[in-house]
Amino acid sequence: MDSPATMLGPEVSVIVPVGERQADAVRLHAEYKASLDSLGRDYEIIYVLDGPRREYSDALHGLIERGERITVVSLTRQFGEATALMAGFEHSSGRVIVTLPAYHQIVGDGIGKLVAALGDCDIAVGRRWPRAGSVLERMRRGLFHRLLGWITGVRLNDLGCGARAFSRRVLEEIQLYGDQHRFLAVLAERQGFVVHEVDVAQSKDDRFTGLYGPRDYARGLLDIFTVFFLVRFTKKPLRFFGMVGLTIFGIGSLLVVWLIAEKLLLGQGLAGRPALLLSTLLVVLGLQLFALGLLGELIIFTHARAIKDYQIERVIQFSRPSSQDRAVR
Amino acid sequence: MTESSPQPELSVIVPFYNEEDNIVRMHAAIIGALEPLGTSFEMVFVDDGSRDRTLERAIDLARSDSRVRVVKFRRNYGQTPAMAAGIEQAHGKVLVTMDGDLQNDPADIGHFLAKIEEGNDIVVGWRHNRQDKLVSRKIPSRIANWLIGRVTGVPIKDNGCSLKAYRAALIKQIPLYSEMHRFIPAMASIAGPRIAEIKVRHHARQFGKSKYGLSRIYKVLLDLMVIKTVASFTSRPLLWFTLLALPLLLLGLFAIGYSLAGWLEAPGPLPLPIAGSGVILFVGGLIMVCSGVLGELIYKLGDLREHQFARLTQKVRSADRG
Repeated sequence: MDSPATMLGPEVSVIVPVGERQADAVRLHAEYKASLDSLGRDYEIIYVLDGPRREYSDALHGLIERGERITVVSLTRQFGEATALMAGFEHSSGRVIVTLPAYHQIVGDGIGKLVAALGDCDIAVGRRWPRAGSVLERMRRGLFHRLLGWITGVRLNDLGCGARAFSRRVLEEIQLYGDQHRFLAVLAERQGFVVHEVDVAQSKDDRFTGLYGPRDYARGLLDIFTVFFLVRFTKKPLRFFGMVGLTIFGIGSLLVVWLIAEKLLLGQGLAGRPALLLSTLLVVLGLQLFALGLLGELIIFTHARAIKDYQIERVIQFSRPSSQDRAVR
Repeated sequence: MTESSPQPELSVIVPFYNEEDNIVRMHAAIIGALEPLGTSFEMVFVDDGSRDRTLERAIDLARSDSRVRVVKFRRNYGQTPAMAAGIEQAHGKVLVTMDGDLQNDPADIGHFLAKIEEGNDIVVGWRHNRQDKLVSRKIPSRIANWLIGRVTGVPIKDNGCSLKAYRAALIKQIPLYSEMHRFIPAMASIAGPRIAEIKVRHHARQFGKSKYGLSRIYKVLLDLMVIKTVASFTSRPLLWFTLLALPLLLLGLFAIGYSLAGWLEAPGPLPLPIAGSGVILFVGGLIMVCSGVLGELIYKLGDLREHQFARLTQKVRSADRG
């Protein structure tokens, strides 16, 4: 921040994380640029290359040579889209952040809709609508999002859409990693940001023609599992580990009691009962799970001051005669 | 943040959630109670993401009274975060927390200050003539209080009463998270404070409606388990986990010894179920001791230091007597 030009900076920063799935850089850039120009705001475009992507990098440098104003951030290896987003964010300076996929997912003029929606919310996420796809596909999607809404209490309809617009504060407060970019809206909502879903037209090139394999279903389930923990138990580990641990411990102890009762009442020697092995195993495992929960609580407790579970939006106090907001944030 | 006024003696922290009918009355009641005392004070009003006109009213109050500081949450977080934020933003030497629903009477604050001046670090209110429903509120609360007292070793008759006073230097060191506002005295016991309890008036709700129900008992029980472990064993996790592992280790050794003794008497194949159970128990115990070692590591790397509390109480006491 040395010259006035960089201090002012652009108003909108567009971050495009380039991962496995990518479209022709030149065509995509032209499309995004056309719709960004029509916004009538000062903007910058940051491409984040997630891992070595030689061809894409060459294409981008070609664009730079032709005089396009873009920033290219390259990561040493593939870290995942969320990390790429954070890296791009660190190099951005706009008050409004727009993320766009590196392939044709939405029609360009959706960007304007997203940015305009920021007027009365903190984060606007795209929802591809109307959307192509078979009945089965629609059902799968509906089920996934309903399950997610039930678990997190945030009902969204298209987590897979990479087009989002949000104010800078969102990423300043939320640290993303791994695959969490898909849950940015969910996590933001949990932090108290206002989230809106905006219908954007789906690009013709986004048609998915294949069938989803078991791997995609497994991935969806894993996603739900991740969010479940992020949202429910990151601050209360014992509520989870304790529940599971005590259940296992309870089953094990019931078995032990039953075996001992049989020995005392029926005289059946414990030495000949393989069930004894099973029951001790359950008791010990249950206790260990509980102990893990305690360890988790210890982590939370010793870091409680660093991980606040609230965000103050602002502090308002008026000094005596003047009517000035002494805003902290 | 620029400090406009010197540190006030007292901060009154009131969280509000949808209390547009009560906030102005609360403000008037606090002023009516505190101005005659002649101490300097400030009010920290925490708006816990209200959806009615609470925030507008609070800002109006702040505009006309520079002693009011309004802390705005972006959404509703609940009572503990609201209290924690209020405590974080308060500048006073003594902090008083109370409910925003007018069930506590600000007129009691004077008694709390007197108790703090006597040398107590925490003063807890006791709603001895509680104006609530018997079955759904009073009886569960009495059981919970008894249980909390038994488990934490801090016998307080009414943990649920929000009207409490703290020495700021002490309470600002206590981590408050989850739903711990009910256990602040127990949490604070890691700092070894002097706790006093005094009777307070309690009014029935006049405006707005009550926001609690029976469902919280379950959470209280779980939180109680957490509090017991963190409040009494944080600084020595290895000891705590070894204590937990001891029965496993002993039982395992006993089972192994028993089967070996049988084998010495009559050599032959070891009785697998008993010897195997012994090994499982023993190894399970060992793993738990290892968890304790991990716990030591976590505590060492955490930002919570017990000697901070020790130094802190000393400082408080000497400043008092001096």
